[in-house]
Amino acid sequence: MAKRYDAVVIGGGHNGLISAAYLAKAGRSVVVLEKNPILGGAATTVEHVPGFRFSAMSYVVSLLRPEIIRELELPKHGLEILPLDGTITPLDDDYLWRVNDHGKTIREIRRWSKNDAEAYEEYGQLMAEMARFIKPILSIVPPDPGKISPRDWLPLGPLAKSFKELPQKLQTTFIQLMTMSAADFLDQWFETEPLKATMSASGIIGTFQGPRSPGTAYVLLHHYMGEIDGAFRAWGIPKGGTGGISYSIANAALSLGAEIRTETKVTNIITKGGRAIGVALEGGEEVHGDVVMSSLDSRWTFIHLLDKGILDPEFESDVMRYKYRGSSGKVNLALDGLPELACKPGRGEWLRGAISFSPSLDYMERAYDDAKYGHFSKRPYIDCIMPTLVDPTMAPPGKHTMSCFVQHAPNHPAGPDPSTPERRDASGETVIDTLEERFPDIRSKIVGKLVLSPKDIEDWTGLSEGNIFQGELSLEQLFFNRPVPGWARYRTPVPDLWMCGSATHPGGGIMGANGRLAALEYLKEKKKGRRAA
Amino acid sequence: MAKSQIVVIGAGHNGLVVAAYLAKAGHKVTVLERSSEVGGILRNTEIAPGFTAPGIGHTVGRLRESVIRDLKLTQHGLELRTPDVRMFAPQPDGSAVTFWGDAERTASEIRTRSPKDADAYLAFDKKVRVIASFLAYINVATPPDAKSPSLADAIMGLKLGKAFKDIGAVAGRETIRSLPMAVADLVQEIFDDEALRGPLSTRGVKFTATGPWAAGTAAVFLNDSAGNDGGAPGEATFAKGGSGALAAALAKAAESYGATIRTGAEVTEIRTRNGRVVGVTLADGSEIDTKAVVTATDPKRTLNLCDPVELGPHMVWRANNIRTPGATAKVNLALGGLPTFNGADDPERLKGRIVIGTSIDHVEKAKDAVKYGHLAEEPWLEATIPTLVDPSLAPEGKHVMSVLVEGAPRHLRDSTWDAERDRLGDVTVKTLERFAPGLGELIEAREVITTEDFETEYGLSGGHVYHAEPGLDQFFAWRPLAGEARYQLVFDGLYLAGSGAHPGGGVTGGPGANAARAILSDLDKK
Repeated sequence: MAKRYDAVVIGGGHNGLISAAYLAKAGRSVVVLEKNPILGGAATTVEHVPGFRFSAMSYVVSLLRPEIIRELELPKHGLEILPLDGTITPLDDDYLWRVNDHGKTIREIRRWSKNDAEAYEEYGQLMAEMARFIKPILSIVPPDPGKISPRDWLPLGPLAKSFKELPQKLQTTFIQLMTMSAADFLDQWFETEPLKATMSASGIIGTFQGPRSPGTAYVLLHHYMGEIDGAFRAWGIPKGGTGGISYSIANAALSLGAEIRTETKVTNIITKGGRAIGVALEGGEEVHGDVVMSSLDSRWTFIHLLDKGILDPEFESDVMRYKYRGSSGKVNLALDGLPELACKPGRGEWLRGAISFSPSLDYMERAYDDAKYGHFSKRPYIDCIMPTLVDPTMAPPGKHTMSCFVQHAPNHPAGPDPSTPERRDASGETVIDTLEERFPDIRSKIVGKLVLSPKDIEDWTGLSEGNIFQGELSLEQLFFNRPVPGWARYRTPVPDLWMCGSATHPGGGIMGANGRLAALEYLKEKKKGRRAA
Repeated sequence: MAKSQIVVIGAGHNGLVVAAYLAKAGHKVTVLERSSEVGGILRNTEIAPGFTAPGIGHTVGRLRESVIRDLKLTQHGLELRTPDVRMFAPQPDGSAVTFWGDAERTASEIRTRSPKDADAYLAFDKKVRVIASFLAYINVATPPDAKSPSLADAIMGLKLGKAFKDIGAVAGRETIRSLPMAVADLVQEIFDDEALRGPLSTRGVKFTATGPWAAGTAAVFLNDSAGNDGGAPGEATFAKGGSGALAAALAKAAESYGATIRTGAEVTEIRTRNGRVVGVTLADGSEIDTKAVVTATDPKRTLNLCDPVELGPHMVWRANNIRTPGATAKVNLALGGLPTFNGADDPERLKGRIVIGTSIDHVEKAKDAVKYGHLAEEPWLEATIPTLVDPSLAPEGKHVMSVLVEGAPRHLRDSTWDAERDRLGDVTVKTLERFAPGLGELIEAREVITTEDFETEYGLSGGHVYHAEPGLDQFFAWRPLAGEARYQLVFDGLYLAGSGAHPGGGVTGGPGANAARAILSDLDKK
């Protein structure tokens, strides 16, 4: 006799857990099923080298919606975010160092260009205003563009209105952000290469694009939308690694009465009369529920877990042609001492923030060009942080961890397997060579490493093609086209099967909005249903 | 209503179209053209005695039906010739794919390569036509005014809404999904064979600085088929007597309605006072006072003719940030005989556009070079042999080949176009010869028009043939600039009627015709 719940959530990543927590909060009986022994999906902490704990994949947080932190009382459940201060871009014999202290940053940029220092002020204000305008979009349930019925477009009404009320300057900026390449957008404002390149980096993180690819400007805004304790542009790392976020959410869910089962792999979504009624687990056990909430991407949910013939072919081909193309790798290093930057010796606070390997737009673009034709970037873009400087508990006393987010590590399904030991080592070496150009003493300090290609990330978390956003964040895959054109409302063509992961609007990043919106949307519909009955 | 004196700057096709419509409506129109002849990018050039070639634009099949009709262009000598073939794409392996006007015929030939792609091609052609039919509606529309929508806007909105509804929910979703896509994805998700993907992808990046992997290039492709019979392969229609003959017909039409056309008359300043146009100043110092100036030159150039103080620093900043990254050059060849192309058993196949873009990677790499300020080692090419449809363009038995070279940035990082001019010609011929062995020996004369020449001789900012990059950021309601997309440009009495205005570049006459409509309704109000 299968165990029965109000809701069965597939996947114990942050979105799955958040969905579960909100459903439990509404008094529903919920179970979360996670295939791995540890929770968190890509937001997880592992001790790969004895004594050294890594945020193996996802490593910083800024987009986590404050209402979620509030409503689920995450701090009470152990969430503590330690702010990261600033970004330094090391160069051959100089550097660009921006910190949260505005005045300091302006003085630093003036060192490079007086014009850029002035533009930076104006730019910052403009982007902050922009972010305030965009934020509502993150909590809107997208309409179906195929339908013209006003009801479907109603949610956009207020937005359209506020757009009309925007000053011309902001309207233009909004249009540019939605359509331009990060490079073209920044070229309008700045002339300093390391500044433009480092800012453009946020536009390509997690996507298979270069700073000159149209559509990458939008993500520049995400930096200004990041919100910790209400402070714009604040980035931080969770105490205990990104696993810390997942565990605090899990604790919140548990305290609200949800059940969580790890090492429980779902092999099939069971349907009856076309409706989803539950899931089958490895080993044959069945778990039933009024609703099945999948936090997996659409390829897993619809192609791998559903039986053939349930979906209409049109929908299935839409799912099949949805783009993933993960191209981000991760190199985590265990160090027995702190490395020094050649361009800025010493062990000062500049090492406590992000260290961005982005000397010029050409450098960034060439990294993409290599990947476009299927190769690991000869000189990749690296976003490097040393978490132990803000959270010493991550390594033994006096020792350190270094987290390197790397692009591009293309994952061509047709191409060679990037996760073979040889290729993994080769790409790891390329990254270390690149680091060594700025940190001459790094190699001697490495006592252990964990190199993850997109393929490894896929094998570990189940993210198709290792795309950390559960689907490329390209223009045609955003908003009402996410995760499948016409199905952006968390529902699916299969009644009682819902989606709640990054695959849905508003997309990836440790934001949690997806899980929350999906749960609330589901509860709203149930309420309506009852009223109707 | 009092008929007003209107000055039109630039006698390219859009300048002549808007002039003709305004004159037809009874206004006193004077067209001022900087160079010694009309036509802009349609001008003919003489490569060698007896060899006539199109300066830049070699096909004219996108020209709006209504423009031909309204301006009676046929009566004024326009004769269009459309061969059965649209695009011929030779491959490195010696084979070739021919794209005919007739999709069935194309599919049946593709079937020998891949039955799956043959069926896919028919579906793709249909999809392109459906989406293009909707875009055709958008292209005749004046972009809406976001700030204060007028009744006309509302009606246009409803019309567009209906047009959108008419194509159906599925096609509607597909349209919205497709427009922002990379053309590489548009063709890759449908076809397996690079021999189809490559040539088709070129349609999304012709005259642009981007490669097929850039978002929004699918919109360029689809727009290229809007309002004409292009479908999947695109149009290949020629004007008898060369593209210049179309310009001549437009000029005759304009003059027949009473417009005056002055060549060798360069405007050096558009004079404004308190936000109103008051006249223009010419290079010879002479002045013309007028309340209405219509410019068919590109928006950046136009605004640089205005007083920066009147424009204000913000508008000057915006104007200078209009993106005009020209990346296309031109090579015209006078040939002693007809070249033979691998895979072309019959010269019939060579009558349309001959596209050397053998794979998505080839096309992408050609545009990679542009990003770093180099001439592509292997540019992608679009060649035509106009003499196959109009032998009168060359001496008996001889031919003219017109080649658009894609991958030639306006600004070279470590060289100049004067220094690279010959290399541009050589690279082009070398690339052609890989597919047309022996072509080199046929060359009797060669004319190389660099991207820099596009700017200096044709007056195109950044050498950009489309006046402004057709990116998603310079499109519809924000072409050339957000808030300036309704043909009136910044000043009261200044209008933009060139490719820098909606619906953008290409020999459509669309911007000119749309602008004329907007101007006339403005003048009626006064």
